[in-house]
Amino acid sequence: MGDDARHLGDSASVMTEKTNRPVSTRIALVGAAIAIVAALIMLLVTWQTPSGGEGAPGATLSSLASGPAAVQQQMGWAHEVISYITLPFLLTGALVAIQISALAMLGGLFLGLCLALMRLSRFAVVRAFAWIYIWFVRGTPQLLQLVFIYDALPAIGIRFDTFTTAVIGFALNEAAFSAEIIRGGILSVNRNQSIAAAAFGMNPLLTMRRIILPQAMRAIMPAIANDTIAMIKLTSIASVIFVNELTFRSQQIVGQNFKFFTVFAAAGVIYLVMTSAISLVQAALERRFNLEIEPRGMGDTAIGRLLGFRPTLPSAAPASGAELAPGVPSSARATRAQRSNWVEALMSGPHWQSNGDGLEFVACKDVWKSYGNREVLKGIDLTVNRGEVVTIMGPSGSGKSTLLRLINHLEGLDRGEIKVDGKYVGYEKVGGMLRPTRHLAAARAQARIGMVFQHFNLFDHFTAVENIMEAPVRVYGEDPAKARQLALHLLAGVGLAHHASHLPHRLSGGQQQRVAIARALAISPRLMLFDEPTSALDPELVAEVLAVIRRLAEAGMTMIVVTHEVRFAREVADRVIFMDDGRIVEQGTPAQVLLNPTQDRTQRFLRLVEHDSEVVQ
Amino acid sequence: MLSRKWIIAASLLIGVTAAHGLLGVNRATAADAKCEPDKLATKYPALAGKTIKLATDAESPPYSFRDPKDFNNIIGIDVDMARAAFKCIGAQMTINTGSWSGLLPSVIAGQNDLMWDDLYYTAERAKQVDYVVYMLAGTGGLVKKGNPKKITSLADLCGLTGTAGLGTVEEAALRDQSKKCVAEGKKEINILTYPDIPAGTRLVQNDRADVMLTDLGLVDQLAHDNPTQFERGIKVISDFNIGVAMKKGNDDLVKAIFESMQALQADGTQKKIFEKYSVDTSLIIPIALRTK
Repeated sequence: MGDDARHLGDSASVMTEKTNRPVSTRIALVGAAIAIVAALIMLLVTWQTPSGGEGAPGATLSSLASGPAAVQQQMGWAHEVISYITLPFLLTGALVAIQISALAMLGGLFLGLCLALMRLSRFAVVRAFAWIYIWFVRGTPQLLQLVFIYDALPAIGIRFDTFTTAVIGFALNEAAFSAEIIRGGILSVNRNQSIAAAAFGMNPLLTMRRIILPQAMRAIMPAIANDTIAMIKLTSIASVIFVNELTFRSQQIVGQNFKFFTVFAAAGVIYLVMTSAISLVQAALERRFNLEIEPRGMGDTAIGRLLGFRPTLPSAAPASGAELAPGVPSSARATRAQRSNWVEALMSGPHWQSNGDGLEFVACKDVWKSYGNREVLKGIDLTVNRGEVVTIMGPSGSGKSTLLRLINHLEGLDRGEIKVDGKYVGYEKVGGMLRPTRHLAAARAQARIGMVFQHFNLFDHFTAVENIMEAPVRVYGEDPAKARQLALHLLAGVGLAHHASHLPHRLSGGQQQRVAIARALAISPRLMLFDEPTSALDPELVAEVLAVIRRLAEAGMTMIVVTHEVRFAREVADRVIFMDDGRIVEQGTPAQVLLNPTQDRTQRFLRLVEHDSEVVQ
Repeated sequence: MLSRKWIIAASLLIGVTAAHGLLGVNRATAADAKCEPDKLATKYPALAGKTIKLATDAESPPYSFRDPKDFNNIIGIDVDMARAAFKCIGAQMTINTGSWSGLLPSVIAGQNDLMWDDLYYTAERAKQVDYVVYMLAGTGGLVKKGNPKKITSLADLCGLTGTAGLGTVEEAALRDQSKKCVAEGKKEINILTYPDIPAGTRLVQNDRADVMLTDLGLVDQLAHDNPTQFERGIKVISDFNIGVAMKKGNDDLVKAIFESMQALQADGTQKKIFEKYSVDTSLIIPIALRTK
């Protein structure tokens, strides 16, 4: 802004008035930085020398001419800096800077979060609004914004006082900058996290709050700390709207006694103390958001607490699997002896009352799907009966995974229809056409379809037990204590009772996938979708995961399993579907499809995978 | 003398009246310019019960700066005159400090009522604010004690080293003078610029510069406070007037400041304040209202 701010375009006619202040301020601050270092050294050197020099606040212009300083004067000099550091006049200014920064940061982060979400919105208008706001606020000098709020808004009847103007001005500015930081943090979180959340019926806001933001925090934190430190120092520009903070106050003292070295050194030390405090807070927060630092207590979601979320109930890890019985519904205990299966507990619940008639549970009719110009599914007709285990096989890109995602409506279909238990999942029929309903997340939740992913997609910031509890508590509103009992019970069921409090990254791939299965089971699913559950696992770990799926099959769970495990399909599946190029090429019993395939394409594929699996075995 | 002052004031006010129809101000010329704080409500009804907000930067000695004995206090010729004026008027006053470039905009926006801080009158500014002017602006040349180079005017600077604040009008003045020197066949001036006043004084003190050009009031104060170090070599009085600025339309306030300043000038208070801060009293001009 500089001299232009000296208003109204008459600078040519102005004679003396002022020196070029912005330049002097900048140089003064650089000087202050150097001065701090020098001052600290001086303090050490001259600490024991009693002060014979003039007291700082009482000094006048007479001290200005001291020049390059005799040793004697330097001794008083160190004490002078200290006397300025402890001067209430300056400390009051520091307090003003802190107050403005704290309030503006709070408001700015809230607005910034809103803007970041708007920038990620699927509505172009919302995105455009956020973009324009950020473009404008980031692109115009903050000094002008402050002057505008303070001096131009009164013209239309909006009058803020000095402090309020500063808080609003800095908050609006911080909003623009933090929006991009937060957006960057959100984008840095692996997409599979939100896919998993969506599969469990978590709505976008819940997903953002519980899953994305806590993980984004680690990326967001350092930049926000930067902004906070920058803001504390930048509050000095608010002197143009009559904010008397630290820099302006020190400038006033210098304006009176010309001791710019000592005064700015003192101001520099005060700034350093303030910004050091922020750095410490940053370090502490980063520690808490760092998932690699162990140990981490069960249910102790630092992130959640920090963000003001409801903490989960504390609970101890179970000592052994045997003690899990209290969490099992009595009906399950009754069948325990016969089937010895914890899955029974889940499948005897009220959710198992069917809506539809007869055997048919999943019905796909003429399903088409394309990504851009590429057709992925070209007219799939598939029926899965209640309690049936169907495995889908086929080469990569044949559309297997896409079909699964259409069944629980993780993706929308282009043509045709899919019913689960006689109902559409998140569609309604309007004039013969299927249209997505507005409450897609709720529809997914209601359908109770459990999904297990190739890459597990566990929530990285939650322990094993928290991963399992999340959907029951947050989506289905179950009592956290009960959900925890169920989660521990399920963990014991998949053989991981002792890993309840471990974060995913501390578990092996096989263990993670077993947790993922337990997580899917925790919502009392009526249908389980497995998307290549063993493809990302070491061969040694495949067996432990397949064993769990096998037990589910034995318990009568309706399942669709996309897999390349021929042996598993042969032993467990009721029916095998072979897909290629978006179509079902062949289907039938495992004996028909796997041992006597009729189609050339199936034969070729099976030769390849069987060869592979024999090598492994 | 007195009558002449009245003629000036009256003619100015007639001009104001013609321009703005400020009958209230016009009537004031008939009143005797004396301090009657008790009659605030009748003399300046718009100010009654109001606290007037004064904008100043508190970092411009000798006009407005922090009291070295107590930094919470602001002093200087402008602030002292403001206090005296409001005592004379009988109205409450509060001081808001902000950086200089924000002062006038705040007055125009109505966030403050008046700016009293080394502000020059210009016709451009007078489109938005009314002035009550009280002194002339000037440029001073600070030299070392004893004036070793015998500098008494800008013309003496040819071949010497002069310093001025970066980007200021004094820097421009030095460059102009340097050209004149060359045109007259003399050596040019070696010009150094400084970022802040203390840096400039150090240049003179360490013999890196022969003269430092800056505001006359400041030069006088520096010379007064450091009698063994400096003295004033050059004094150039400009025809710029320094005054109090108030947003247009605040007739009672303009009237109150105008009349109280007249009273302070008449009873010698202004002169005493100037002397207190070692400001050249020859800079004092008759109080005048300038509205365009």
